[in-house]
Amino acid sequence: MSALRDRPALQGAMFIVALFALWELASALGWLRVFQFPPPSRIAEALWELAVSGFPEGVRIWTHAAVTIARILQGFLLAMITAIPIGLVIGRAPLLDAATLPIITFARSVATLSLLPLAIVWFGIGELSKVMLIAYGCFWVMLTNTIAAVKYVDPVLIRAARTMDVDGARLFTQVILPAAAPRLLAGARVALGVGFMVIVGAEMIGTIRGLGALIMEARNFYRTDISIVGMVALGLLGIGLTAGLAWLERVLLPWNTGLASVRR
Amino acid sequence: MRPWIELRGVTKRYDGDAARAPVLLDIDLNVAENEFVTLVGRSGCGKTTLLNIVAGLVEASSGEVKVDGARVTGPGRGKGVVFQQHALFPWLTARRNIEFGASSRGLDAAAARNEADQLLALVRLSEFGEKYPNQLSGGMQQRVAIARALALDPQLLLMDEPFGALDEITRIEMQEELLRVWSSRRKTVLFVTHSITEALMLSDRIVVMRANPGGIAAEYRIDRPRPRNRSDAALAALHEQLWTQLR
Repeated sequence: MSALRDRPALQGAMFIVALFALWELASALGWLRVFQFPPPSRIAEALWELAVSGFPEGVRIWTHAAVTIARILQGFLLAMITAIPIGLVIGRAPLLDAATLPIITFARSVATLSLLPLAIVWFGIGELSKVMLIAYGCFWVMLTNTIAAVKYVDPVLIRAARTMDVDGARLFTQVILPAAAPRLLAGARVALGVGFMVIVGAEMIGTIRGLGALIMEARNFYRTDISIVGMVALGLLGIGLTAGLAWLERVLLPWNTGLASVRR
Repeated sequence: MRPWIELRGVTKRYDGDAARAPVLLDIDLNVAENEFVTLVGRSGCGKTTLLNIVAGLVEASSGEVKVDGARVTGPGRGKGVVFQQHALFPWLTARRNIEFGASSRGLDAAAARNEADQLLALVRLSEFGEKYPNQLSGGMQQRVAIARALALDPQLLLMDEPFGALDEITRIEMQEELLRVWSSRRKTVLFVTHSITEALMLSDRIVVMRANPGGIAAEYRIDRPRPRNRSDAALAALHEQLWTQLR
């Protein structure tokens, strides 16, 4: 037993297996209604159906996932390439920061999905409005994080740079940007999370492809099992993309990782 | 001999604070070339502000500040600064931090690398050049910071409580280290500390400051040869005198 106690991953896995078994049993005994809580066996069948024939017929899970990833990444990247430069400028200009704060707070507080009707009017019901909605959600989060990243660069680093005759553009590229990088990447991670929150709603309109569309379509056919597959797939994609960003962070900022473990 | 640092009637008050006593009032101070001068005083006496004024990081409200005969108009230009926090760039290795200083005074990449090698050896960190600041101990970080300031090849080294955050033993080692470095690369040094012992071990001259308003209370010249002995009777007597002055 002591070997088991030392392996938290194994314990976690066993707990999940036990939970699934209990869930399956509860359905078989009629304690849980299959429509409300489809048992694991039913969900596995739905996954098989999605992998082989697709839902709706012909649109397989891989297509749904690929379409969703493409939309999230396009919106996310669009937000990055606009929010980062704007945020860098605002963060270095206290006047501009004060002037834009109310607008930014307002725009951030508008729930992205409430813009859905407007997005349809402006960008139609095609890919563009989905990508733009995701970009909108990611943009404000990234913008606030970029501004904060620049504003809170340790002033002693800037003083030290000035004693070395470093000023102007060189100060910006060689000191402020690298010093802000960890917060920028942390902001990117939060923004990506927002992209995942927006996608399901954004895929409610004019499409049968994408995990969000899958979840909505399944609802119309009372297929809770398929909804759950879509939900789980989204969660797994989220884990995957976030891990990708974490990897990027380790590559770009080797000095910023595992400080606690290397500190003497 | 012309002094290296010349302060004439330097006063500093912060804006909108006319009611309070100025941080510094009418300071006159000369520091000779290659002299090691320490500013000692309690917190709030303006010693760090005075150092920052000489560094060009803070502007005096009135008075004249000259380094090497030229008015100080800003930081840089031959004035190396070591801060209480190491202020190293965490994204650069120890070596790259020192190279950053060296290339700031116009050395090309090869020359900067060579200079970093020499300075790493001087502060006895040749083995640690590829480590990031966060992988170094507090004493090592401060040695790299000193090396980075020296890489500017400044005539003047300004040190603002550089060993203030270190433990007692490391602090004593760092004092010895600094004297060793200073003896191989002579500079004019203005050093801020609140430790009387540190001032006694290091300086040619100790300037005692008082607060409200910040000013110079007394000066003591120390002619004992270095390295100094902590139990030296003359220093002990001076310690007593400084202690009475400061409390």
